[in-house]
Amino acid sequence: MTDVVAVDGLAVAHGGVRAVHSLSLAARRGEVVTLLGPSGCGKTTTLRAIAGLETPEAGRIAIDGRAVFDAAAGVDLPPERRGLSMVFQSYAIWPHMTVFENVAFGLRARGAPRGDIEAEVRRGLDSVGLGALADRGATRLSGGQQQRVALARAIAGNPGVILLDEPLSNLDAQLRLAMRAEFKELQRRLGLTAIYVTHDQEEALVLSDRILVMRDGRVEQAGTPAEIHDTPTTRFVADFVGVRNILPCEVGREADRLVALLPDGVRLDVRGVAPDGPACVCFRPTGVVLSTRPEPGAFAATLTSATYLGDWMQYEVVAGGLTICARGLAKADLAVGGTVFWSVLQEACFLVAT
Amino acid sequence: MLVLPPLVAVVAASAWVGFAPLHRPEIVFNTLLLGLTATAAAVAGGGALALALARGVPGRAMLERLVVMPLYLTPLLTAIGWSWLGSPHSGMLNLLLRDALGLGITINVVSPGGVILVCALATMPLPFLLMSDALAGLDASLLEAARVHGARPGMVLRRVTLPLLGPAALASALLVFVQVVGMFSVPAVLGMPAGFDVATTEIFRLLETYPPRLGDAAAWGLLLLAITALLTLAQSALLGRRSFATIGGKAFRASGKPPRAQRLRAALAWLYVALATILPLLALLWAASVAFVTGKLRLTRFTAAHFDYVLFAYPKTWIAVGNSMLLGVLTATIVCVLGLAVSWVVLRTRQRGRGVLDQLSMVPLSMPAMVFALGLLWVYVRVPAPIYGTIAILLIAYVTHYLPFGVRATSAALRQLHPELEEAARVAGATWFGTMRRVTVPLVQPTMIAAWGLLFIMAMQEVSSSILLYSSSSIVLSVAVFDLWENGNPSDVAALGFVQLAVSFLVVALVLRVRQRAAPV
Repeated sequence: MTDVVAVDGLAVAHGGVRAVHSLSLAARRGEVVTLLGPSGCGKTTTLRAIAGLETPEAGRIAIDGRAVFDAAAGVDLPPERRGLSMVFQSYAIWPHMTVFENVAFGLRARGAPRGDIEAEVRRGLDSVGLGALADRGATRLSGGQQQRVALARAIAGNPGVILLDEPLSNLDAQLRLAMRAEFKELQRRLGLTAIYVTHDQEEALVLSDRILVMRDGRVEQAGTPAEIHDTPTTRFVADFVGVRNILPCEVGREADRLVALLPDGVRLDVRGVAPDGPACVCFRPTGVVLSTRPEPGAFAATLTSATYLGDWMQYEVVAGGLTICARGLAKADLAVGGTVFWSVLQEACFLVAT
Repeated sequence: MLVLPPLVAVVAASAWVGFAPLHRPEIVFNTLLLGLTATAAAVAGGGALALALARGVPGRAMLERLVVMPLYLTPLLTAIGWSWLGSPHSGMLNLLLRDALGLGITINVVSPGGVILVCALATMPLPFLLMSDALAGLDASLLEAARVHGARPGMVLRRVTLPLLGPAALASALLVFVQVVGMFSVPAVLGMPAGFDVATTEIFRLLETYPPRLGDAAAWGLLLLAITALLTLAQSALLGRRSFATIGGKAFRASGKPPRAQRLRAALAWLYVALATILPLLALLWAASVAFVTGKLRLTRFTAAHFDYVLFAYPKTWIAVGNSMLLGVLTATIVCVLGLAVSWVVLRTRQRGRGVLDQLSMVPLSMPAMVFALGLLWVYVRVPAPIYGTIAILLIAYVTHYLPFGVRATSAALRQLHPELEEAARVAGATWFGTMRRVTVPLVQPTMIAAWGLLFIMAMQEVSSSILLYSSSSIVLSVAVFDLWENGNPSDVAALGFVQLAVSFLVVALVLRVRQRAAPV
């Protein structure tokens, strides 16, 4: 099966500054591929280059097997001839048109027959639950409704690929969760192929089939949501997906196991493989076990803070030069300033390159 | 207070004498023709310029300044310049076309078409500015979305860009229309000799006769007022509260390609600059520095005699320079202070009636300057106050006419100033007066000084109301220029026109220097 979107060796510059370096990605039919990264990492630039809103310096972009951009062959189709649709961060709902006209715009622009337009717009609006608002002026919509119109506009006419540029970032937290679920359901039901840009790792994990974590215009790590979440391969990715404990260490071997050697004789058993060169040992706060009694494999430390987080308590313990963050259910016997013993579950521990 | 009595006076006066315009329907027709065609041309041209510059042209920063130059040039000088360029027999352009190039084409700007053209050229910066602002405030993704969803560039322009510019175009159309139908100088210079009379020239003629027929003139004023009031109502009905300003998002981005289109856009902008500014000024310079204006190169002699005459011999020059500068300084200062006061009350207080105050301060925008001057004339001829024929009556006219500009400029500055900056000063112990002096005024100062400069120049060049209100002791520069044009040597007119421009720009250059030194950042 061919890729619906295939990007190869893409390089984009903004006024002499490279924003994207030699980026490649592929999305198969019905897949959501997410570009994840902090602002300024080049994810939106990549998306705009696919849309034809930026002109890359090098590389090749193919949609449905047809080259829409190819620096070597001198191919550069304008946006309107790439057969895409896009949801913009600001929604870009045309304020001088009704909801219906907004959704119908692309169909009309591409010369669809009148009867089809009516039916297709209805279908699009119904699938986002806005069927009743077709004749409303676009300026009289709430943020969530504008978001839905943008989505209906993007799916009208069954485009090959939908590009989404941080579509949920302008919504408040509750609405964001609801729209996220709604989009996921719609995407599954209609079998949409989508390239999704976000800086929100949770959003990426929930929505994606595959994630590309970007940093400074390059792909830092690519993989399934589970791979990205559970096994970051670099310190940057680990940090970005919320691993709080990232500690530089020496890597040792005991029999067939890997161990991370930390100062003050702290040794942690780790899973996975060792990176080439200097390494850090990583574990999430939830992988840390605290106890008031010395247990085998646990290390003494001082509890320096306990923060109430609602469902959880977050603890910070300090031992020698190490500060470790732990998270778990509240334990009455832990007192700030007292001595605690900490250990880490082996399956929670892994190594990344620094 | 300033606005209402003259309004009432115009209405009362015309009712008194029977309605004069009924007897001259062709002038009503001419006025409407001029207003509608010149407005259409100015809005279309201004919109095209705004789009061209927003999409990126080589030398954009310089072009942006040059395109608004006509704001600083009185249409009187532009019209006089064009009358030498494009009069059918001796116009320089015609001599060039006929004698040098041997073409059988003759341009005639001393004609209805010429009046329309020069009015449109002179008023084009206004729609340009309003639509440039609208374009700058447009979220670029609205246009990108249209491209991505299948629209070619032409369709994006037709279906998205132009409709979104609609409100700005309509707003500027009204302003231009009021300016054009209230404009005296251009129809006087290019229309009257061709028998193309409009309401303003008719008002002038009625007041020039002896005895002045003030009542008939007032009837014409009322007609102008009625037309503009009707259009204002139509506009607000059409626009409602609709505004497409989309705050946030990315700004309209210059399209990098293709270079051919860029050169085309630059050529369009340069053509405008040439027609509206460079050519008329060159004609003026030429006329001012030759012994007498002639098309025969053989007979052309350069001389400084005309400058010598207007600077040292012509008795009105120095009175007029003094009056104009005094009026310019007073008008600009009073309008700035009054404007700041009005916009502060409107934006920062919960005072009852502040909405009405805001609306009222904008009324002069929809009232042609000449109509307001007529009202003042009517009132102060009768009222036993020692104002008639003095600078004071001109000052009242100027301040009222330009107040909307002051209010708009200062309210734009105040809007950008977060109220918490003032509140913080109050909480920190400053009095209201101390807050104004040490926080508000210093922060809006850059805008105020820029507005002051513009107001000074506009006041220096006002013709339409000055022509009705001046007396021999309160003559101003623009009226002196018109006076010379009617009665004197064209070369002297040109020289005096240059004196007028020189005085305006020297003062503003001085102010801008001070501003740079005083700039806080």
